[in-house]
Amino acid sequence: MTDFLTLFIQQSVNGVYLGCLYVMVALGLTLIYGVLNQINFAHADFVTVGAFAAFFTATRFATRVLGIPDTGAYLLSLFSALGAGALLGWLVSAAVFAPLRRSGADELRPLIATIGVSVLLENGQLALFGPIPYQFDSPLARETLRIGKLFISAQSVLVVAVSAAAIAALYAFMRFTFMGKALRAVAQDRETAGLMGINENLVIALTIVIASALAGVAGALLGPVVVLTPFTGASLIVKAFACVIIGGFGNMEGTIVAGLLIGVIEAFTVQYLGSGLIDLVVFAMLLAMLVVRPTGLVAERKEENV
Amino acid sequence: MKHLFRSFIAILACAALPLAVQSQDKVIRVGVLMPISGPGSYFGVMGKEGIDLALEQVAKTDLKGTKLQVQYEDSACSPLQATNTVKRVLDQFKPHIVIGEECSDATLAIAPILEQAKVVQLNAGSVTMKLTESGYKYVFRIFPNAEQQSAPLVKVAREKLKAQTAVILYEKTNAGNDNAEGFEKPFVAAGGKVLAKIDFGRDVNDFTAIATRIASLGKVDVLPTFALEGQQVRLSQALAQARVVKGGGGSGVQMGSIWLPWGYDQKAGKAAIGYVRIVQFDPTEKRKIVQDFIKAFQAKYGADKTPTHINAHAYDALLLVAEAVRRGAKDSEGIRSQFSKFKDVEVTTGRITFDQKGQNSDLSVVHFVETQPDLSWKGMSWQ
Repeated sequence: MTDFLTLFIQQSVNGVYLGCLYVMVALGLTLIYGVLNQINFAHADFVTVGAFAAFFTATRFATRVLGIPDTGAYLLSLFSALGAGALLGWLVSAAVFAPLRRSGADELRPLIATIGVSVLLENGQLALFGPIPYQFDSPLARETLRIGKLFISAQSVLVVAVSAAAIAALYAFMRFTFMGKALRAVAQDRETAGLMGINENLVIALTIVIASALAGVAGALLGPVVVLTPFTGASLIVKAFACVIIGGFGNMEGTIVAGLLIGVIEAFTVQYLGSGLIDLVVFAMLLAMLVVRPTGLVAERKEENV
Repeated sequence: MKHLFRSFIAILACAALPLAVQSQDKVIRVGVLMPISGPGSYFGVMGKEGIDLALEQVAKTDLKGTKLQVQYEDSACSPLQATNTVKRVLDQFKPHIVIGEECSDATLAIAPILEQAKVVQLNAGSVTMKLTESGYKYVFRIFPNAEQQSAPLVKVAREKLKAQTAVILYEKTNAGNDNAEGFEKPFVAAGGKVLAKIDFGRDVNDFTAIATRIASLGKVDVLPTFALEGQQVRLSQALAQARVVKGGGGSGVQMGSIWLPWGYDQKAGKAAIGYVRIVQFDPTEKRKIVQDFIKAFQAKYGADKTPTHINAHAYDALLLVAEAVRRGAKDSEGIRSQFSKFKDVEVTTGRITFDQKGQNSDLSVVHFVETQPDLSWKGMSWQ
């Protein structure tokens, strides 16, 4: 593969696929920040829970109990990961965030609480699953699609397709449903939204559930790509934070653009500078963004009609 | 009457004291520093399995009345945590010998502390040259170092595989760096050309971009790789997708060292076909000590589990301590003295003869294997 155009297209494709993985992990983070004005440090562990839920569904439940063949089992596992993430989000919301809100806690206490949840989840998974890596193979990861000299695994195509579908679904939800509009209203001004009759506690709980469900699906997509251990989510969360910061805190469009940009920049950094410099380049970009355009890549709209 | 009773108790206490002192003398305290938490914890789990099994086996033998007392401590593969842990262990447990650590960075961090405390460090998992090249008198290592692992790879690459070009892939750690250098220097000296040296952190998950880059470099004959199993699986799969390696229809031969445990081939699937590597612990080896170890391991941990080299090296480390005690070692100096005299002591991972730097110099069981199309190993006659 020495033809420059082929190489350029191939690395762009690699970058978009990688970027989609980052976007899937980062979307939930930015959603929570946008509504609650809060960073969820346990987000990486939600991703890991989703990955394990998908693993056990695909390799144990779907194949051995239901007798579904490999590809079907893996696709089913995406839904189980979504469900596992949503359930976990609801539990954490009910057990941690809601009581803290009721007690009138400042912003610091929920932040510390998320660190506690993260430690609990990580060590809980370590106790349950052990530290030895699990081999999570998606049948799609073994299939490679080729167009001339270009190649892409079927798993990568699935990642892009699911990410696009998730983004479209989320966008449609936020734009065209009452709850979506209520969510945006609470994100803009919680007090006024409450005065307008919106149940802010319900909206906040829903936000956390949606964000956690997205994290779960991200885990299911990640599982066949990474080394699956209780620390899997942690390996991507730093890049996810970079997406959120570069894209603009709480700005979904910005997060999506930033995620794809980071993925593509990483791919070309590997090609021309070396894989050892990936982190340097990405975080240099982050610092530059904070200095030049601290609000993020996509400008935040101040007014909009709900 | 009270006075008589108190005197009786005092006499009893005095009589017991030499017994207590004697029983203290009859214990060899073994500190084990392994990563039990964090991403490296799978080393610790496997290491503990090996040592626990060894303790059971040693208990069935005669150690001349001496007991081995083992205390596990978590060093998390982290130089900082390893340093703090070893200081605490030295202060509280006062070990005669420390087995550990697994990760080269953490191993190097504790070496000078143990050297200063005059406590023997027996390493069974680190590769870095710096450990035995730094002049420590109390360090011993049974794991082949970077040069011992890379030199045979270069020889086979040039002489058997007729490789002209290489791309070296390695994790960004002391271990990875040393192995990569250990391959590069002699390969270039023998007339080969290194097209690229590609390093990556342990948090890198996707290797598609790296595989694409390698594919753009032209014909690559060999790809020596130094990474942990999880990353190695993903890397091999990406290289196969990019049609760089044999397993993907390319011509490049992936080469590896003893980092990769038994079972890697099944995990990587077809991408592993044609993979050439050196192994030290080979479960298919017919030596009685190896087969006995596997039987005992499966009896304890399950018939479906095959031990890895991590289990085996940890097992051997504890057996060597027992052997030193059997030969008369009563303390750290005694252990050090006995280790220095070891010649051809047979263990599951071969034979042990420590050189002047404390490195095991016997590589007689190290041999090459190639992954076959059915994902089994085929032993090669190269040495």
